[in-house]
Amino acid sequence: MRFLARRLSALVGVLLASSMIVFGALYLAPGSPEQFLVQGRTVSPEVLAAIRSQYSLDDPLPIRYWKWLSGLFTSDLGRSLLTQQDVGALIASRIPTTLSLAAFAAVLIIAFGVGLGILAGTRGGFAERIVIFASNLGIAVPTFFAALVLMSVLSVGLGWFPVFGAGDGVVDRIWHLTLPALALSLPAIAVVARITRTAIVDESESEHVLIAVARGLPKRIILWRHTVRNSLLPVSTAVGMQIAGLIAGAFVVEYAFTLDGIGALLVNSVQRKDFAVVQAIALIMVVAFGVVNLLVDLLYAIIDPRVRLEKGRS
Amino acid sequence: MTSNESAVLGTQPAATPQRLPAAAGRLTSLRRRLGWVGIACAGIVAVVVLAALAGQFLVPYDPTVGSVTQRHLGYSAEHLLGTDQAGRDIFSRLLAGARTSLIGPLIVVITTAVAGSALALAAVWFGGKTDAFIGRVLDVLFAFPSLLLAILGVAIFGPGIVTASIALAVAYVPYSARVIRSVALRERNLPYVKAAELQGINGLTITLRHVLPNVWTQILTGSTINFGYAIVDLAALSFLGLGIQPPAADWGLMISNGQESLQQGFPEQSLYAGLCIVVTVAAMAYIGERLGGRAAAGRSKQ
Amino acid sequence: MIDIDNLELSITDPESGTVKPVLKGISLSIQRGEAVGLVGESGSGKSMTLRCILGIEPRNSTVSGDIVFDGENLRALPAERMRRLRADKIALISQNPHAALNPVLPIETYLLEGMADAHRRNAQATRARAADMLEQVGIRSVDRVLKAFPHQLSGGMLQRVVIAGAISGKPGLLLADEPTTALDVTTQAEVAAILDEKRRDLGMSMIFVTHDLDLAAAVSDRLAVMRHGEIVEIGTPEQIRDSPQHPYTRMLMSIRPTLSGTPAGGTAYDGGSTAVGIPTGGGTAVARVSAAGNSASSVAAETQIGSTL
Repeated sequence: MRFLARRLSALVGVLLASSMIVFGALYLAPGSPEQFLVQGRTVSPEVLAAIRSQYSLDDPLPIRYWKWLSGLFTSDLGRSLLTQQDVGALIASRIPTTLSLAAFAAVLIIAFGVGLGILAGTRGGFAERIVIFASNLGIAVPTFFAALVLMSVLSVGLGWFPVFGAGDGVVDRIWHLTLPALALSLPAIAVVARITRTAIVDESESEHVLIAVARGLPKRIILWRHTVRNSLLPVSTAVGMQIAGLIAGAFVVEYAFTLDGIGALLVNSVQRKDFAVVQAIALIMVVAFGVVNLLVDLLYAIIDPRVRLEKGRS
Repeated sequence: MTSNESAVLGTQPAATPQRLPAAAGRLTSLRRRLGWVGIACAGIVAVVVLAALAGQFLVPYDPTVGSVTQRHLGYSAEHLLGTDQAGRDIFSRLLAGARTSLIGPLIVVITTAVAGSALALAAVWFGGKTDAFIGRVLDVLFAFPSLLLAILGVAIFGPGIVTASIALAVAYVPYSARVIRSVALRERNLPYVKAAELQGINGLTITLRHVLPNVWTQILTGSTINFGYAIVDLAALSFLGLGIQPPAADWGLMISNGQESLQQGFPEQSLYAGLCIVVTVAAMAYIGERLGGRAAAGRSKQ
Repeated sequence: MIDIDNLELSITDPESGTVKPVLKGISLSIQRGEAVGLVGESGSGKSMTLRCILGIEPRNSTVSGDIVFDGENLRALPAERMRRLRADKIALISQNPHAALNPVLPIETYLLEGMADAHRRNAQATRARAADMLEQVGIRSVDRVLKAFPHQLSGGMLQRVVIAGAISGKPGLLLADEPTTALDVTTQAEVAAILDEKRRDLGMSMIFVTHDLDLAAAVSDRLAVMRHGEIVEIGTPEQIRDSPQHPYTRMLMSIRPTLSGTPAGGTAYDGGSTAVGIPTGGGTAVARVSAAGNSASSVAAETQIGSTL
């Protein structure tokens, strides 16, 4: 429990500091805050006044930060500088697409990344070489390029999958999200497969596995209970980090497949210089990134008795 | 020197028993460090660098000017790889794009290496509160996914290759600083550094003269690996329209430009530009891994 | 029981391709119920001999020679038959129990998986037997130990668990590879005593590998001195102690710590080996002898350790 409390307070501290960066970024920009927020657009005096009040530009800096932060906790993320839409509502309408994309990709990473890694690590020979080669290549392929190749071959070429859109209903959505999720998870699958294979090979050379052989345990038990199971402990951390990384990868893929997720919204908002939306999404992503990383650490502490019991004692 | 003496003095006996001609010896040692695949990779990188340096003098056509009548041409003697949706020669754009595709990562890598080692060495040398403070700052940077930090930078300072590169470098710094710090810390705790400190030699001098040269390998291999990541990340930013702006020739931008043509059945420009990125990154990653692995092996032997 | 005939092993370095001979023709016969101490400095090939018996020599190694166990040549057995022998007839106790047990599985799993295969009884009976085995090696809080993970137990406690697991199937042959070296001094004597006692009770044969001549003498009927992959001398502990034939054995005897705590001779042996290869815990060797020799209580052993330090 103390471990959890310590990790939680560290996360809160880091998130507070990050929120200051996201908040303060506005004042790093060249020119005055109003100029930056308006970005040369011609706006009516009322809109300018609304922007000034949204950012509390008449208050001193600490109070501005405080108002902004307390606004966040009451899910008041301000209004879009372009369309005057409520940012919270705008983002909320986009989140389901991003979440289903990330969840889909996470399933692919676990299934194929770990699966191929186990295949390569336990079979050896040809399967191993293929997986090593493919993972070396996969790591070098940028997600957006993978997206375009998949789109070009499977959608445009063969017509098996839709080119864009997120789909309605569960089946249609899965069908629409297959290629984006594949593109998004490809580099992560490559990394996870490689780490899994290395972990299995290392583990199979460890002394306790050698001793298990010397004790005449059945091959199946040595392989699964002692080699694969143990090697998956470090792999779980790697998988978690890759899943956290999906948050950043998602906007490239969403943009490539013109999906209406928050990633694409972020990119569009940067392009259109709608800083209120950019700030809100950046903050949400940082929080999500931190929470996923925390969950990964907790998961590791739960599944590894060495960590679990140490923490239990202290 | 007999092997006994060298063991006592802690030095390694000379590796090569007989003298080879200098060039052949160098080639042998390169082959031993990289392997044949590694040399092929180095060759690929050399070609890309050459294209980046001399590409603009070699291009058969102006890479940024096209002609409406020449759109989406196939392979021909005039246009080796055909033309894009604006009638520009794809081969010329690939060649010219090598420069912009490498300059950005170069800025990223140099900024990262300088800032990362400066922070790491300062943390290690001063220790205590400085170390803790730098650690906290890096923790906060770690909280941002790197592409997000870069996008935030672009959102504030406007799109462009320099902004995007520096923003990306800021995102890379915590990773490189952490690795360099751990290596430098080990170096700093070695007796000879302690001894130099006791002799009253100035801290900066010791850091620059003794610690830095020993973490140099780490910085170099880290930079090689970062270079690959930076190519991909900067290309992603260009793809999103946040990096280098059209009509410049850039591989990431070409992939993005080609997206529309791709849906009309002309995938060439995206595919070629993407292949350029994949091959360059894969080659650099392989070299980085070989050098990194060797450096690690050399360390563990000592 | 077991006959090792002209066993040779060499390891090929995969990078340079150089072949390094490790065992150069080991021949050794052990009778039923007999314990043989295999003594020598590290790198002399003691542990590798045990690994050859179990068929778990390292990759890149080439083995020749025969090892006949109960009429079967271990070097020529099909894999599944060899596995059955490892499970039922030959047990290994290795040096470091913390490395030997899977760190993320509880002790109970360790014991049960070794026994389930050997006896195929029902789960409850197997579990009761595991608890009984732990009691037999002097563990009192059996339930707590069964539920514990390896990192929660001391080295001495864990080595008892390993011994319990090793003898649970009443194997014919026990291979002990420096079973006390990794333990702290006070528990070394206890563990050696338990091992010795159980072996005699169950009438098992044993090969006891150690670099500690006195410890080997205390638990063995015969000693085999190994050096550079060869057995240079075999004899009863008395023969080895009183009239060592080979110069290397004489050297080993001379640098052995005595009651006064200083090496008796210290004359350098000119065989070209590294200077001195027998680290022992000072005067503790004597304590081990008495403790292991007649399974004296640990209290007595500790008392003697105290008096010799």
